[in-house]
Amino acid sequence: MATASTGRGVSFLRSLTGHLSSPCLSLRVLVPAGRLHTSASLEVNKNWERRNLELYPPQLPEEPRRPAEVHHCRRQIKYSKDKMWYLAKMIRGLSIDQAIAQLEFNDKKGAKIVKEVLLEAQDMAVRNHNVEYKSNLYIAESHSGKGKYLKRIRYHGRGMFGIMDKVYCHYFVKLVEGSPPRVVPPSGLDQAQAHLLSLRSRTVRHSL
Amino acid sequence: MAVPLRRTLIALHRATCNSLKSGQGWVDVRQPLPLVVPVRGKKRHFIPPAVGVKERTKADPEARARAAGLVFRQQYVERAINISCTAGIFDPYVPPEGDARLSTLSREGLKQRTEQLRQSAASQLAIRKIKEHDPLFNTKTFPELAQDIFIQAHMALTQFNKEKLHSLVTERCYPEMTRGNRLKTIRWSFVESLEPPRVVHARCPDMVTKTNLYGQVTLRMHSRQTLALYDRFGRLLLGSEEEPKDVLEYLVIERHVVNPYGRWRLHGKIVPAWAPPKDPILKTVLIPGPKLKPGEEFDMLQFEVPKPQSVQWSK
Repeated sequence: MATASTGRGVSFLRSLTGHLSSPCLSLRVLVPAGRLHTSASLEVNKNWERRNLELYPPQLPEEPRRPAEVHHCRRQIKYSKDKMWYLAKMIRGLSIDQAIAQLEFNDKKGAKIVKEVLLEAQDMAVRNHNVEYKSNLYIAESHSGKGKYLKRIRYHGRGMFGIMDKVYCHYFVKLVEGSPPRVVPPSGLDQAQAHLLSLRSRTVRHSL
Repeated sequence: MAVPLRRTLIALHRATCNSLKSGQGWVDVRQPLPLVVPVRGKKRHFIPPAVGVKERTKADPEARARAAGLVFRQQYVERAINISCTAGIFDPYVPPEGDARLSTLSREGLKQRTEQLRQSAASQLAIRKIKEHDPLFNTKTFPELAQDIFIQAHMALTQFNKEKLHSLVTERCYPEMTRGNRLKTIRWSFVESLEPPRVVHARCPDMVTKTNLYGQVTLRMHSRQTLALYDRFGRLLLGSEEEPKDVLEYLVIERHVVNPYGRWRLHGKIVPAWAPPKDPILKTVLIPGPKLKPGEEFDMLQFEVPKPQSVQWSK
């Protein structure tokens, strides 16, 4: 979409110069050099960061204290989103100190980056979001996303070629104040009952 | 792999040959020469300079452009100034401690009274000057008007009505009132006035030229107000909505008197040196301690938490 629109813009300028039919009036005169945006659009979706701007209404004195939450991310990391997912999954639901300790002893390239992002988020929480104790945070959400890829030509034999991607990824994290919630794994009986329920609630088509 | 191996072998061979030649005989045992084996690493001893880096790092772009035959147009260093309000409080009022109830017989009381007299004489001159430009100005009726401005401005601040706030507050005061409030909720109310507000001080500073006059009037206001401040998550940061507090305030209100469309606007607030300290925030903060040498122990009893000096300040 963006490339198409810029293409139209260039043709419009060209037609303009054609109409004026003045040889000295070049494209540079119309638009200062460097102002004309000809590459693909670079706008990024900043919704994750924007969540930090949400304002909640004041609480009544008897209401339970609303936990603070901080959204933080790092974009265009030179790393694969799939490799990053394993790290994101690993620290999900841990307390911040535990997560940092886990990442400290992980040898992956992404572990260092994720640790930096976590420390930044922790600092932000204490500085800007009125979090009292910096250790009293847990990782409520942690996931990776696909970044903007660069495409490059890969030369094959016999005049063939392939297109390779220079991959980039985003890493998103949401810290919430408090200790991590306890997740009780379902017992065998629960699983069996759920399975039984799923069997009984199925619909058998074209049956009697 | 092949080349470095061959090179090493040659070096080894050379070293051994040398030792044989110089040894002459097998009798005198010599220490072998330190064997330096050239191993090719990835270190680059010479890095070719990037193209055009010399040009780019040159300090003076103008000289470079002139050398290339271009002429820079004249560069102006411009800074915007605002003349619809002054940049500060001119000759700020010094509120007397304990509301000037010290006896004139004591030394402090006498000092206070002389200071008051000197300030009030200048105030009278300033009031006369303000009245020249603003015939409606009257020290009897002005306090009510000023109190209304104060209440309106703070109401506009709680609702963050920017347009209204700009009409009630000078450009200098605006950032000081609004900075840091973006993600907070303010609940403020004016309960009642305990004492009728009165004008205590007036000044007529000029800026840029002698005739460009501003009127600055200081108002003493004693009232009951409530204030509660909530953070982004709606949690109480400071104060309380139910509990009103007695507040003694010295407000500075300003007007660009030579401007016929100018109006009285809130300009600042004077906090006296003897003002009681503010309520602490409901948060645990880290106070930086003394620098300890290894072996020293932190002594809780010896360490005093640094306290700021009590100085009159304005905002």
